[in-house]
Amino acid sequence: MPERKKSGTNLLYSMMAEAASYDDAVIMGRGDPDFDTPEHIIAAAKEAMVQNHSDSSPPEGLPELREAIAARVERVSGVAYDPASEIVVTNGGQEALFLMVLTLIGPGDEMIVPEPNYNTYLDSTRFAGGRQIEVDTFPQQNFRADPADVRRNVNERTRALLLVSPNNPAASVISPQDMRDLVQIACDHDLFIISDEIYDLFVYDDVVHTSAAAMPGARERTLTLNALSKAYSMTGWRVGWVTGPAPLMERLRELKAAITGATSIISQYAGIAALTGPQEPVQMMADTYVRRRRAVLEALDEMGIEYGVPEGGQFIFADIGFTGMDSMQFAQRVLSEQHVLVYPGSAFSEARKQYIRMTFLQPEDKLREGLERMKIAMEGIRAELGNGSAS
Amino acid sequence: MPPDSLAALLQRHRANEDLNAAVIPAAARNALDLAADAVVGPLDERIIEATGAALDAGHTHYEPVPGIDELRAALAQHLSEATGAGWDAANLLVTAGMQESRFLTLQLIDAGDGATALPQVLHPGVRKALGTRPRETVSLAVDAERRLPRLQAIRAALEGGSRLVYMESPSRLTGATLDADEMAAIATMLADHDASAIIDRGLAPWVAGAVAAPTERVALIGEAFPGAGIVSWLAGYVAVPEDWLPPIQSQKQIMAICTATPAQFGALEAGNLYPQEQPPRLEHMQALRSRLQDRARAAGLDVLAGGAASVLALRLSPSHKAQGLTRLADAGYQVADGSDFGAPDLLRLTVCDAAQAALDLLADA
Repeated sequence: MPERKKSGTNLLYSMMAEAASYDDAVIMGRGDPDFDTPEHIIAAAKEAMVQNHSDSSPPEGLPELREAIAARVERVSGVAYDPASEIVVTNGGQEALFLMVLTLIGPGDEMIVPEPNYNTYLDSTRFAGGRQIEVDTFPQQNFRADPADVRRNVNERTRALLLVSPNNPAASVISPQDMRDLVQIACDHDLFIISDEIYDLFVYDDVVHTSAAAMPGARERTLTLNALSKAYSMTGWRVGWVTGPAPLMERLRELKAAITGATSIISQYAGIAALTGPQEPVQMMADTYVRRRRAVLEALDEMGIEYGVPEGGQFIFADIGFTGMDSMQFAQRVLSEQHVLVYPGSAFSEARKQYIRMTFLQPEDKLREGLERMKIAMEGIRAELGNGSAS
Repeated sequence: MPPDSLAALLQRHRANEDLNAAVIPAAARNALDLAADAVVGPLDERIIEATGAALDAGHTHYEPVPGIDELRAALAQHLSEATGAGWDAANLLVTAGMQESRFLTLQLIDAGDGATALPQVLHPGVRKALGTRPRETVSLAVDAERRLPRLQAIRAALEGGSRLVYMESPSRLTGATLDADEMAAIATMLADHDASAIIDRGLAPWVAGAVAAPTERVALIGEAFPGAGIVSWLAGYVAVPEDWLPPIQSQKQIMAICTATPAQFGALEAGNLYPQEQPPRLEHMQALRSRLQDRARAAGLDVLAGGAASVLALRLSPSHKAQGLTRLADAGYQVADGSDFGAPDLLRLTVCDAAQAALDLLADA
């Protein structure tokens, strides 16, 4: 599949600005959990200030935080990393993503990515002078990438595979067998793997998360990102990390030093508290998302909107193609008429103009209110369809 | 590790090795650190309270990409008062510290088809930021005393096709500044050649009196309210003409979405306190620097005149410098080596009480 152009970022920001202008807006677009950061984490940040922890941090992050990250990664993913040489703390998952791409991709290189995907990957790849090669996925398979399709797209310019599981925006989760097959492709063709696992704690039903680096042969060729933003509701603190083999991490650390230097010291101390403190808030949020996800799926069923069953993450990628509207028209109409913000699929891929991305990161009463308003909008659209006037 | 891929990757990056040299060794953290360009002062309780209150109020979520409006406005006001130019919040982008400011401006401001002009002496973070996606550069000769770019060198670079000039005023190494007449001449040259400049003025708050800067065709960068004890919280700024901001803001979004909220709210309170708190801090630092300078000169050391009260630069012979660095290292002191800045005959010390003992060691070396 040829590379597709997207310019979604500015589009989304203008929609967020419009939503912010409505007092009664229901935000079902951005991936920003509605929960505030757990109190014990804020308390730790305050304590770090009181103790005047104004000492500088190395670019790779405080040793205590890297040790906490190593323990977390081994516990969740089953992969051991040396905190001294195989972990770099970043300004959130976003910087982690940028650094991983710059570490591995250079001018003329190609990276194979399942489509749809988070739009910043394309921005980062372009910055590096590389090129994304997109592999189509389909709602009938819950947007899971087919390893055979990936293998067909490998050529002499291919440098890396991007694996995002759970996926943003499509909420698919790569199965253990598919993960083994995808890693085997990387091994067969001497490719690097970029693995985005920021939603690894959020999988639903009987689905299991599989870390790419845990697969045989993968660790030495894989850079993995994660962050505190989604699991601990810490989007504003900007704490993420990359794990990987020491030779690659040395290069990534140099880039981190050149681009932003260290990560904010107060945020790092908050991060230590998040990873080493009570984990009940994370479980509470995860349990809440299970209920909310069910509520959204039921509402979509009532509206007659189809979707790929979200296996993980905090999103639902829903097909509004039957309305005859493209996703931008649809999202704009729901926003202006009902003050409900959903993201148009076109912001993620030109090929996904019939999809919208919805989050369930609002309190349940507000979420239900937003869904009710969407139903009203849908009734209006269906009435116009009956009249032949929807567009 | 896939051996072929790794070999190819390292080969690709080999060309940038010089540019990727470490700025300040990480070991400095564990030494008596005199390598920074400003001492980290005590943290004001009001900053702690204001930041904590913001976190308690739920400011733990994404903030706007260019920064919270109040901080942008505070930075704009500070810069307007400091430079006499009319900066507005719409010109400001909050960054995750000085290095991100360097990176965003060097990588995103249009350099046209020409080389980016860099002084021979400047903070090594500049070359590192450029090295991530190399641009062609041309070197600007500097004067012997201040280590600031010569006007004729800037003129020659512009006549040679450069459309972007990077400068530090004050110098990150010597603390010296370009005066108002020099800045006026540079502004004229920029206009004549349809060129732009990036000026790092991060040390300007450590200079008594105004530090001149052009009012047009310029990006100003620096740390947000240095001296307030929040340097490691990492808040910086980029101030640019409004029509320069979109690509810089877009890149900021790609890289980080926003700057950490505790850092932003801490910087905001630091800005509120700055008019009252910075003048006495500066006065204290000036007096301390003056004492250190007198002591050093009395001991026969060659101190550069400088300008910023936060740094003291010394000129030494190669053998004296080598012996001095050894003695300092043996005693647990870390200082900034001018070699990392492009000035191998210089050393720089942070102005602070501990610098006195370091100067004594250098004098005895």
